Amino acid sequence: MASDAPSRLHIQGLTKRFPGVVALGEMSLRVRPGEVHALLGENGAGKSTLMRILSGVLRPDEGTIAVDGEELTLRSPLAARRAGIAMIHQELQQVPELTVAQNMFLGRALRRGGLFVDRARQEALAAEALAPLDSAIRPDAPIRSLRVAQRQIVEIARALLDNARIIAMDEPTSSLTPSEFERLAAVIAGLAARGVSIIYVSHKMDEVFRICSRATIMRDGRFVADLDLAGTTESAVVAQMVGRELAVAQHRSSVRSETVLSVRGLTAGTKVVDASFDLRRGEVLGIAGLIGSGRTELLRLIAGADRRSSGTVTVNGRPLMRAGTRAAIAAGIGLVPEERKRDGIVPHRSMVANVALPSMPRFAPRGIIRGRRLRAEAGRLLAEVNLRPMQIDRPIRLFSGGNQQKGIIARWIAAGTQILLFDEPTRGIDIGAKAEIYGLIERLAAEGKSVIVVSSELPELLRLSDRVLVMRQGRIAAELPREALSEQAIVAHAVPQSVRAA
Amino acid sequence: MLTLTDKAAPAPGATTRLRVPLRDFGTLLGLVLIVLVFAVAAPGFLTERNLLNILQQSSINACVALGMTLVIVSGGIDLSVGPVAALSAVLSASLMVAGVPPVLAVMAGLALGAACGAVNGALICFGGLQPFIVTLGTLSTYRALALIATDGNPIFGVPQSFRALVNGNVGGLPMAVVVVLVVALLAGLILRKTPFGEYLLAVGGNEEAAHIAGVPIALTKIGAYMLSGLLAALAAMILVGRLGAAEPILGNLWELEAIAAAAIGGASLMGGKGSILGTLLGAVILGAMRNGLTLMNVQAFYQLLATGLIILFAMLVDRFARGRA
Repeated sequence: MASDAPSRLHIQGLTKRFPGVVALGEMSLRVRPGEVHALLGENGAGKSTLMRILSGVLRPDEGTIAVDGEELTLRSPLAARRAGIAMIHQELQQVPELTVAQNMFLGRALRRGGLFVDRARQEALAAEALAPLDSAIRPDAPIRSLRVAQRQIVEIARALLDNARIIAMDEPTSSLTPSEFERLAAVIAGLAARGVSIIYVSHKMDEVFRICSRATIMRDGRFVADLDLAGTTESAVVAQMVGRELAVAQHRSSVRSETVLSVRGLTAGTKVVDASFDLRRGEVLGIAGLIGSGRTELLRLIAGADRRSSGTVTVNGRPLMRAGTRAAIAAGIGLVPEERKRDGIVPHRSMVANVALPSMPRFAPRGIIRGRRLRAEAGRLLAEVNLRPMQIDRPIRLFSGGNQQKGIIARWIAAGTQILLFDEPTRGIDIGAKAEIYGLIERLAAEGKSVIVVSSELPELLRLSDRVLVMRQGRIAAELPREALSEQAIVAHAVPQSVRAA
Repeated sequence: MLTLTDKAAPAPGATTRLRVPLRDFGTLLGLVLIVLVFAVAAPGFLTERNLLNILQQSSINACVALGMTLVIVSGGIDLSVGPVAALSAVLSASLMVAGVPPVLAVMAGLALGAACGAVNGALICFGGLQPFIVTLGTLSTYRALALIATDGNPIFGVPQSFRALVNGNVGGLPMAVVVVLVVALLAGLILRKTPFGEYLLAVGGNEEAAHIAGVPIALTKIGAYMLSGLLAALAAMILVGRLGAAEPILGNLWELEAIAAAAIGGASLMGGKGSILGTLLGAVILGAMRNGLTLMNVQAFYQLLATGLIILFAMLVDRFARGRA
């Protein structure tokens, strides 16, 4: 390939050390003008350190960054913006109460007479920048009234106002529906056609292959490969990321006959309406549906995390009388939530403390915690779920997403939970750790526990489920036995009638 | 069954295990610095008698601050500690003056303190209000009740036997200091060795996650405020014994002193973090500052200035020691 083709962004020998770790070791990256370039690597590979250096938040210890041949020192986020580098973060950095235009001009408002904000001109310029991306977004609408996908477009428009030459996107599609993704893909293609270079960080291989032309793979803070995606395959890329080949596992079923959980007429407002189903011992029950179809709400109702307006939850023939998570946990139900940071972990506490939390009374039979017994048992469970690094006293927030998830699973094993409810079990988790989580779910089922898995990733549901319920607008729209499972079947039931007719 | 395949990576675990004691070590270092400065600058500072004096003067704030620490760890704040102390002091003193045995009178005062805390906790948990607002409201309410009950007048005539007990010595240490040490040991035990302590840390660290993990949120919070009220009442008993009287206006600004001691000691006002030893040291730092400056004949206005600066300085050191991000 023409190595002397002009580079929009050329990073060489970039090194960043933190106490005790080398986050980046002589990393290099080369992006051409108008190229959509994927940056791939497992969590902890150093992608976010690289992104933070590129956006001026962190300063590298060594190495050079050149944009259009000009070497730059990015001393601050402002300097990065001035150099034409824009970041679209996973969690959008916007002020919900302000309008679209106000957000786009945040920190550099246009003034009239040096004092007053020139709202009219801001809105005109905002509309101009938004027009080619999504003309339905009004510049005077408050940000909070927009959908996540639209907010993203606003961020992109803001980058264009900055005359960005490089736009880096960190997991931009994590909360988008398929049709929103299509729209974003079109916007990205349009940007590339205008000569803007895109750095696209994502774990979703199908998306990467769909919209990116090249990819740089990194592992352990180092450059591994710079690939033309047209000439390679998903599994080859994943193997480079992980450093080994991942075996593709087959579905294993361990369903027994007896019913463990019976849900009847479970309802909470209009979010979940009249949900009824049974779960058997050793069964893995998948729940599919679009975002907002009531899947998460259904799990939370069963786990006692939210109040139900009517309906019953029966475990081993005994109905749950009291509301609340404590009654559900006592009956043997445990929730592994989607948003680990918000609903799962107590960040500053150690891994052991997080594992032992629901089992405290058992570890403190006379009111005083028996520390040695607790550590021994939690340590044994954490070894079983293959925690890495095996440092049980380390604060849980310092572990990767996959290892935090293993900790939450160990938590429910310690509590003697019989029914585990997984909400998006591999969201934000590396490909390598993903396979481990699947293995754990299958092992739990094989040991006679019952599992419900809510997932937006259809391959995940196909891999794990003995049976799939499809939810649509708060109701269970279909039940698909293993034999009838296919992506097409799930999608056909998940999409509302009105949309299908249109 | 899966087995451990990877060797554990070296180092980070070891340093994180040291983190909490490290913070306490920092507080201790601060105290040592202050003592060294005053040892040079204030004649008579570094005598056994004066050092005991400092401990005794710090004991009331330390007692309140220990309760405050538990509340702060749970993610809350208790602004009502001063008026709770005043209410308990007025009740206990009145009972003693009326001839009730001091033991019973003290128990009644402590129970009232805990009950005031329970009201705070219940309003927060079941009323769905912010701790700051609830305890700001009860700050006025409890103070008003104390003033109404006494018509604004102090209660004199606390029995000599009670005063002698409170002002006595145990093994060469002032009684108040001994009481606070025992309370600190118990508080440390609660925080580190009981499920309730784990729940406090979990609720303060991430309430939603604690809820999902089955932690009894309401009971935990109410328990924290009850302990805070109880310890405020205990501090009031020490003060009543020292003064021989109970004033309905006692405990003015105790909440700020207690919060300052806890913060200097490393408690995070965001919740989920706090140290019993740190809070004790924080209270002694504030006490030593005041004592030393008084010995140097520094005007009260400047003492206030010094207290303010020491809090800000401690917080800045804390912030930069942990680094940004």
